[in-house]
Amino acid sequence: MATGSLDLLRVKAVIRRQFYVQLRAPQRWFDVLVWPMVDTVIWGSIGLFVDQEGGAGRAGAPYMLSGILLMHVMYQANVSMSCGFLDETWSRNLVNLMVSPLREVELLAGLMVVSAVRLLAGLGAVAVAAGLLFSFNVTSAGWGLIPVIAVLMLVGWTIALLVMALVLRFGNGAEILCWGLLFVIVALSGAFYPVHAMPGVLQPLGRVLPSTHAFEAARRLLDGRPMPWRLIAEGAAGVAVAVPAAAAVLWRTLHLFRARGYVTRYS
Amino acid sequence: MSSRVLEATGLVKRYKRTTAVAGVSLAVDAGERIALLGANGAGKTTTLLMLLGAITPDEGSVTVLGHTLPGGRSRAMERVGFAAGYLPLPDRLRVREVLAYFANLHGVADPGPPVDAGLARFRIPDLADAMAGELSSGQRTLVGIIKATLHRPRLLVLDEPTASLDPDVAHRVRVGLEETCDETGAALLVTSHNMTDVERICERVVFLSGGLVVADGPPDAVTRQFGRATLEEVFLHLASEEKI
Repeated sequence: MATGSLDLLRVKAVIRRQFYVQLRAPQRWFDVLVWPMVDTVIWGSIGLFVDQEGGAGRAGAPYMLSGILLMHVMYQANVSMSCGFLDETWSRNLVNLMVSPLREVELLAGLMVVSAVRLLAGLGAVAVAAGLLFSFNVTSAGWGLIPVIAVLMLVGWTIALLVMALVLRFGNGAEILCWGLLFVIVALSGAFYPVHAMPGVLQPLGRVLPSTHAFEAARRLLDGRPMPWRLIAEGAAGVAVAVPAAAAVLWRTLHLFRARGYVTRYS
Repeated sequence: MSSRVLEATGLVKRYKRTTAVAGVSLAVDAGERIALLGANGAGKTTTLLMLLGAITPDEGSVTVLGHTLPGGRSRAMERVGFAAGYLPLPDRLRVREVLAYFANLHGVADPGPPVDAGLARFRIPDLADAMAGELSSGQRTLVGIIKATLHRPRLLVLDEPTASLDPDVAHRVRVGLEETCDETGAALLVTSHNMTDVERICERVVFLSGGLVVADGPPDAVTRQFGRATLEEVFLHLASEEKI
């Protein structure tokens, strides 16, 4: 792999390979379809229970369900992209790729396309489950959800870039961070609650995350308030910094990976 | 047009506790068939991975087909093929899909005809639809070599291609490689512990010991240099001096 411009034939080859893996690995469907539905049932039921107990206020089933829907945007964006890369390490294919003409940007572009497709499938699963089980219409927040989803998708990809860097640096033992890092970010972003509901010491951390602004924007849309452009702009500004920063970390780690000969871990 | 396909000068690679390669220089011309030999720990694989750009040397430079690494790595690798006997094939793909995948990565837009020709050359057309993860080690090696030759490379780099193969498969590998190189004019750089293979395929051998080139020339000249009768004896002599 090397840095540089895109060759579409190579990008398509990466996409096709991931497509075959998705098709032939039944466990991969768990991430895309089953896990989102399980989350919908858990969080939707919690919200419903709070509603029934009369203590919901603004925190009932709709907030929980929109939270889980949007959390899965980050989840699918991150896990799909990270696992696409991890696949190459699990099957010890990294050496073959590193001595092929494939450039890093081509691998990442292919993984991003696959990740976006899986994201749509995952969101579809949540939407169907929320509609059938809780009569929740995910479109009730309107078109304003589109920029919210875009910000969260970019946050998911940012996490994936960092996971790849950590796996390259520390080996496959670091793969647990694919899920671990995501849930730390979800907790700090207030996916199901506003930042002021978090412990005081964590609130400053929450406020700097672009995902926090996106989740807050989604809650305002659900309340029927006007498009919260300021929150969207803050989220977009956050990812405009986070994505290049994570890419720089990955590039630096790749340099180290080659300089220290870590590729021999996979040979 | 220059006939030089690879030129490495003064390659050095140090790891934390050891110097794997201590100053290797190597030039490969078009059509040459060279064996890179040495005991375990002599620095062969590290040298190969530096020549292919997967490891950055601490010192020295590598130019492949006129492209200097690391900047020109992608362009250079478009005309280089690589296979290693110890590497598995990507999971969950059929053999034909694996081959098409790597052909695409090397710029072959229509991989069907070269894939069929490669499978026929190595006498495994019946494996086209087998799952790559379910192949025997010999079958996997053959598919790996086909993968490395689909795009008609000008330089073919093979790391231990005949390791742990039965005589029939090893023979197929040798014959297939010779045919491929004859047909395409590709240069061949191969590591092996099988001196019989080396003597049959290669016209030049480069012995590494302690991360340095200690002999470079035609097999008979190298055996004379060490006062031995065969390459096997030279290998055993150098291996006895190598720290594993």
